[in-house]
Amino acid sequence: MGVEIPFDVANIPGPEVGEVVAPEVIGSFISSAKRPLLVVGSEILRDDFFVETAMELAKKGIPIAATGHSLRGFVEKGYGEKVSYYNLHELTNCLRDPSWRGLDGTGNYDFVIFLGIVYYYASQMLSCLKNFATDPLVRAVSIDRYYHPQARMSFANVSARDGEEEEYKEMLLRLAESIKR
Amino acid sequence: MEELKKGGIFEISDLKNVRISIGEIVEAGEKEGRAGEGEGKEREPMGPHPMPRIATLRDWDFKLLNRYKPFYAPLCDMCCLCTYGKCDLTGNKKGACGIRMDAQHGRIVLLACLVGCSAHCGHGRHLLHDMIKKFGRDVPIDFGPEVDIEAPLTRLVCGIKPRTIGDYEKVFNYIEEQIVQLADALHTGQEGSYLDFESKALHMGMLDSLNKEAADIIQIACYKMPSGFTGVGDGPDVPLVDVGIGTIETEKPVIIVIGHNVPPAADIGDYLTEKGLEEVVELGGICCTSIDTTRVYKKAKIASALGRQLRVLRAGIADVVVVDEQCIRADVLELCQKTHSPLIATNDKAMHGLVDRTDDDPDKIVADLVSERVPGVVILEPDQVGEVAVRTALEMDRKRRKLSFILTDAEFKHWVGECIQCGGCTLACPNGLRIGEANKSAAALGDTKPLADLFDLCVGCGRCEQVCKKHIPIVDVITKAAYPQVKAEKGRMRIGRGPVWDSEIREVGAPIVLGTIPGIIAPIGCGNYPNGTKDAWLIVKEFAERNYIVTLTGCMAIDAALWKDEDGKTLYEQHHGGFDAGGVLNIGSCVSNAHIHDAAIKVASIFAGRPLRGNYEEIADYILSRVGACGVAWGAMSQKAASIATGFNRLGVPAVVGPHGAKYRRAFLGRADRSEDWRIIDATDGSEVFVEPGPQHLLVACETVEEALPMIAKLCFRPSDTDRGRSIKLTHYIDLSQKYLSAYPPDWHLFVRTASDLPIAAKGELLKKLEDEQGWVVDWKTKKIKEGPIRGYNPSFNPTNLERLVRGRGKGKK
Repeated sequence: MGVEIPFDVANIPGPEVGEVVAPEVIGSFISSAKRPLLVVGSEILRDDFFVETAMELAKKGIPIAATGHSLRGFVEKGYGEKVSYYNLHELTNCLRDPSWRGLDGTGNYDFVIFLGIVYYYASQMLSCLKNFATDPLVRAVSIDRYYHPQARMSFANVSARDGEEEEYKEMLLRLAESIKR
Repeated sequence: MEELKKGGIFEISDLKNVRISIGEIVEAGEKEGRAGEGEGKEREPMGPHPMPRIATLRDWDFKLLNRYKPFYAPLCDMCCLCTYGKCDLTGNKKGACGIRMDAQHGRIVLLACLVGCSAHCGHGRHLLHDMIKKFGRDVPIDFGPEVDIEAPLTRLVCGIKPRTIGDYEKVFNYIEEQIVQLADALHTGQEGSYLDFESKALHMGMLDSLNKEAADIIQIACYKMPSGFTGVGDGPDVPLVDVGIGTIETEKPVIIVIGHNVPPAADIGDYLTEKGLEEVVELGGICCTSIDTTRVYKKAKIASALGRQLRVLRAGIADVVVVDEQCIRADVLELCQKTHSPLIATNDKAMHGLVDRTDDDPDKIVADLVSERVPGVVILEPDQVGEVAVRTALEMDRKRRKLSFILTDAEFKHWVGECIQCGGCTLACPNGLRIGEANKSAAALGDTKPLADLFDLCVGCGRCEQVCKKHIPIVDVITKAAYPQVKAEKGRMRIGRGPVWDSEIREVGAPIVLGTIPGIIAPIGCGNYPNGTKDAWLIVKEFAERNYIVTLTGCMAIDAALWKDEDGKTLYEQHHGGFDAGGVLNIGSCVSNAHIHDAAIKVASIFAGRPLRGNYEEIADYILSRVGACGVAWGAMSQKAASIATGFNRLGVPAVVGPHGAKYRRAFLGRADRSEDWRIIDATDGSEVFVEPGPQHLLVACETVEEALPMIAKLCFRPSDTDRGRSIKLTHYIDLSQKYLSAYPPDWHLFVRTASDLPIAAKGELLKKLEDEQGWVVDWKTKKIKEGPIRGYNPSFNPTNLERLVRGRGKGKK
């Protein structure tokens, strides 16, 4: 895929910007990650599909940290006990610390996937991880409908044109399908 | 020559050819008592840190920074400040000068605080100049019988009890000197430690707090703004004022004032009063100048907060626009020209390229403005503004009466039909609003509701129009779609009351420290909200109804006033205005939020009897450990907001910001999972105690208001809470989490020390959860907790972070 414009057009951080990749590429990285973590935000509440997609990923052994008020969506589906609420600032602060013990008490993560988080807040947290979670490296990627230059890898922008939300959903399904764990 | 003190006599006689230079006259001894009254008891002795310099309070800062470690989220990975650069600092690399990314971001934070602090300092100094010129140096600082401690921050930081406004010259001398020293540290090749940059930012924040107090005290004293005089509409009983675009009577000549520095607007009010034009001419305002205008001119109205500025100007309701300083759109002149609204710039910090006509003949200035030979003028003497503004408004009203700047139906239809759904506006919008989709609904289906719904979500920046390939006036299109609701935007707000009364502190000091009033919530600052102004209303509503004390200032005070309950009442009409449980107080403009610091300081001073004078560190330590206060800057936007929050933080008050606040690049975050960070001292015996994480953070962003509400409640926990107070705080923390997150907070158990900390109504259920989920040991016969908590509840626990305050040690012993 080619060069993309950041979803917030002036959000150009510097020489290192995220690569726009196909869902299957991120899927393969998740497949080979030792300890992946799915971080979801409140925008997943706009459609049940996104909550259900997150639950599908969880079934593949990817724990979920629910930020913002996204926890509500999981509780409504009877899945609240299986996700952990975290404030995104708090969570990112932990992720940059190699000694953090993680959601399950066994250690930090090596691959972090952002989904459904308010764009500019997610961008800042991705920036923190890019700049400060480097030893050991924590790869942070975005599977939102926005291009995130602060992520290591990101989907492209999905515009508001007819059918593109469906296209985005299709991308998430392809991602889930491609994860072999 | 030595200083002469305590009434010493210095006789001079028979001297020839001698020049005598008198530096400063030092009073014979500072006494308590109000200005103008007889002298009372001798003042308290000076504390350890009067007029602290950069390094004086560094130890305190490092205590804070050790627990609340700076967290950096760069907005830009490069440094572009010198010609070595640009330097790429990605991945915490070092630049050519040796600075790393973390230190560079500490530096940027200091820079932001410098700008914010300088704005308030410049404002305060400017105001002082104007007031001394108008009223003289000897205007007494006397806020009436209800306010004896008239200037807590001034006393705390400077060790000065100001008696007249002239006393603030030395306060500003101190602040300005410190600002220059701190600015010096920003230069390439100076500071290299992010922690020291942050200590400097905290110092800057403290200076900013002092600036604000100074500025508000000066204007209260000179303009007789509400303060502490009972029975005259002061304090809890300040009157209500109209708020909202819909309250401006556009059939009258309208003057709109914008900014923060009130003397020009006050002069307009004086002129209207003097000429008997109060019912003839409408004086409305935007942002903090509007709040302060209502404190000096009872007929003034508040057109909007900052977020509506572009739309108020575009709507063309102003026959004259008067700007002073801060938060004025940089394109204000261009906007005014389009609506034929003459612009009067009244402050040398924002002159917008206009010709300075100060001291010119008012007849000539008015003639030039009315004929539109000039689009605007600069008038730097506040006392010359009123006549020119009013006379110009009267004449422009006649000229402009038939003009309308709201799109016609045909224009609206044309523009929404022009949209090609390219999405460029969405990429330019700070909130990523899907404007094209709304245009499409209007164009294809005639459904204007999606566009109208954007009116409140829009932060009013206009970036969308800058990128529109079809040059659609998007802001105007949204305003047109929402016009019925814009006209109906009529709220009510208390005018800014200024200081919290000492008598109120005496009443609530104990409940606040014990926790039975669960907290002081301070929604303050700008309108860069993630999801519209209604969030401001919701935050105030939730906490006021739960008997917190809600103290508002600035744009959040305005925006919260726009929304009403089903009975048509605003929160200011539903709740009392006293500093007590359930109160909703408009403290005033941005500079007035120093009185929120002051309320916390006065709890320590009046309720707890802690020495105030030059004693910042001890008071901040007291507030951090005992005063459950939390700032909420939900739409924080400016550099001033950065310095304001940092000032609150140094004083031990945490703050929650909205998601845009993450772009400030730095947070102060505690780690609940690191018990070693939560070790404090029991001042009773010097023992070290591991405590619960209260408050857990000093500065944190939340993604949504639903997340923010329980977070705000959480940040009101303090180690000193009694079991009854803790029970009340836990009740609200758990309830807000269940209401907005549909679940118990995952960390609620950390705040339980004993069974009596638990909310009474749910005690059994919560004990069971502690047993089942946390593995705690419960004695079910007595319903007591036997094992599990971080610590037990000790009613005589005397928490401090300062070893010198342990009884029997150091100068600070009690």
